Amino acid sequence: MNITAIDAARLLDTCSTCIVLIGVLIAGTRNIGRAIWLVAAQAILLSVAVAGVGLATHSGHLLVGSLVTLASRGIVVPLALGYILRQSPVRQERNPYIGPRLSLIAAIVIVFVSAMAVDSSALGGSLGSVNAPHALPVSVAEVLTGLMIVMTRRKGLSIVVGLLVFENGLALAAFSLTYGMPFVVELGATFDLLMVVVVVGVYARRMLTVFGSMSTDHLRNLRG
Amino acid sequence: MTELIVAVLLLAPLIGGLVAWPQRGRRVELVAIVAFCMTAAAGLGLAATVPGAGRATAFGGGVSVDALGAYVLVLTIVVAALALWASPRYIRHEIASGDLRPSDEGHYYALLLWFVATLIAVPLVDNLGLLWVAIEATTIVSALLVGINRSPDAIEAAWKYLILGTIGVGFALLATLLAYASSVRVLGESSDALNWTRLISIAPQLNPNLLRLSFIFALAGYGTKVGLVPFHTWLPDAHSQAPSPVSALLSGVSLVAALYALIRFHLVAVAGLGIAFSSTLLVAFGLLSMAVALPFMIRQEDLKRLLAYSSIEHMGLLVMGVGFGGPLALLGVALHIGLHAITKATLFLSAGELAQLYGSRRLSAIRGTLHAAPVAGGALGSGILLLGGLPPSGIFVTEFAIIVGGVTRGYWWAAGIAALLLALCFVALAVHGSRIVWGHSGPLSQSRHIDVGMALRLAAPLAVVVVLGLWTPGPVSAALDSIRAILGATGV
Repeated sequence: MNITAIDAARLLDTCSTCIVLIGVLIAGTRNIGRAIWLVAAQAILLSVAVAGVGLATHSGHLLVGSLVTLASRGIVVPLALGYILRQSPVRQERNPYIGPRLSLIAAIVIVFVSAMAVDSSALGGSLGSVNAPHALPVSVAEVLTGLMIVMTRRKGLSIVVGLLVFENGLALAAFSLTYGMPFVVELGATFDLLMVVVVVGVYARRMLTVFGSMSTDHLRNLRG
Repeated sequence: MTELIVAVLLLAPLIGGLVAWPQRGRRVELVAIVAFCMTAAAGLGLAATVPGAGRATAFGGGVSVDALGAYVLVLTIVVAALALWASPRYIRHEIASGDLRPSDEGHYYALLLWFVATLIAVPLVDNLGLLWVAIEATTIVSALLVGINRSPDAIEAAWKYLILGTIGVGFALLATLLAYASSVRVLGESSDALNWTRLISIAPQLNPNLLRLSFIFALAGYGTKVGLVPFHTWLPDAHSQAPSPVSALLSGVSLVAALYALIRFHLVAVAGLGIAFSSTLLVAFGLLSMAVALPFMIRQEDLKRLLAYSSIEHMGLLVMGVGFGGPLALLGVALHIGLHAITKATLFLSAGELAQLYGSRRLSAIRGTLHAAPVAGGALGSGILLLGGLPPSGIFVTEFAIIVGGVTRGYWWAAGIAALLLALCFVALAVHGSRIVWGHSGPLSQSRHIDVGMALRLAAPLAVVVVLGLWTPGPVSAALDSIRAILGATGV
């Protein structure tokens, strides 16, 4: 396939914008199952963008990285979370610390503030031939949206979804700053991400057996 | 040759863990001991080559251990040896009392070995990205250990640790990315563009904006794992709920591993931005951590949480000492890292023994230990005094060096406040300690036999702390000098 640098930049900009819009949607939904599939969609868009830049720059490790992203973040992790969700009696975020409407608005504010505050040219501009000016501010917005979701939800799985949004933002930042990390580092980081989800799953199931639900409301014994 | 040593060092605990996972009883203990002895021999062998050559490298520079790395490696092995030595007695009691299931025994030793492997990987790697991978792996494995008994409190602690640890370390990944973004522009997309040895050598050419942002994120990210206030909230929970040998590893060396990562970023920042920027931040956050830990130590009701808050205080002191810079403070920091690690590990082991004996971790329940459990109680009492810095403890010497070093570097206000906080922390520890040791004990849930191994593993580290306070043998002081030189690479 013949993709020019300009096409790749356009693809990266489009995909990262879609990713942050999906992030806003995740912030605004109570339905945990839907949130999981939205996160999967983000990962798929991320892998498409990575593949595009990989083709434009003829870089084999980016293509492999794109496949790894697709397989881990886009398929394995969402399926695992979906499996845990089906065992849980409650599949809605019942009473988050801030409601879905307010958190939707907060996510939109985060996107606007990041777009205004983060100037990728202040960090030395984009690298090489592919110049996608929106990718960096968008990834910062995505990281902050993930952080907000983690801080405001009560259900274990919703918190994991927030964590994944956060991680997708980091991956996008990695990509827009430097076209990803050296390959071994990326592999290691992906492996760590998978293990985090496995361990979180282990604890979510333990919470289910010990407390009867995955609500973090049960987790407020330790103080001082 | 070095390649082989590194391979044994990492593979022995990894494979040992796989073998141990499904086993039970004596056999799993044996597997763990054999695997650990192999890795300990390899680790000490690797560290022994460092003083002569200045640095041990392997795998084309992928592994690079200087004096600081060798020190962290040796400390990890020493504290892991204490933790592993104490584990059979601790775990058998937990299984007998029903807090752990018999099948958890194999899982415990496997996870312990893997935890040690991830901790060992931290000082080995030269690449800041792989350093991040190793630190994140320590969080994942140790989170499983923290919640290994499935009590509600342990699950809560492990959950908080996992989520906050992952988020925190996520910021450290951002820091690593920014460092990479700055160096790629100088070095091109070469595979060593993230090696801290390379980064330091080209630091003056790096983009200062990227470097500044990178250090801030590293401070927040690795600061979370170091237990710096305000990123510390997971620490007292995780360190108090974990099985006591694991608490010893968490407080003794996993905090040091994260501190090691933070120090590497600090050194790159110093080389690129000058000494003022990162040092000021380190002094400020170190002082804040000490100040916030104090009130929690004073009104603490849980023995292991008391020790955990004391770890926050000591990490604050260390971070502040690194920020002070200068030969005196850095020499203090170098020795203090080790003395704190072995003192705190011993204290957690004796606290675990007492908690099992009294059937509670509450300070109001654990009284009169000198009468009820002379060995563990005596070790706890004397360990607390040594930890607080009562002469002739080596910790008195190192704290004194850090404070005086800070004054001579012009941080007299921070050093003054820190001295006051150290004194107050000592009083808090001493008051709690005297109640534990001398108070009137209620009826005990059971009596336990004293075993010689336990007496030895509690007494020996404390003796080392006292001896090092009075006298540092030649090789030790040479090693400390080269660590100090690394800590002060460009700042002195």
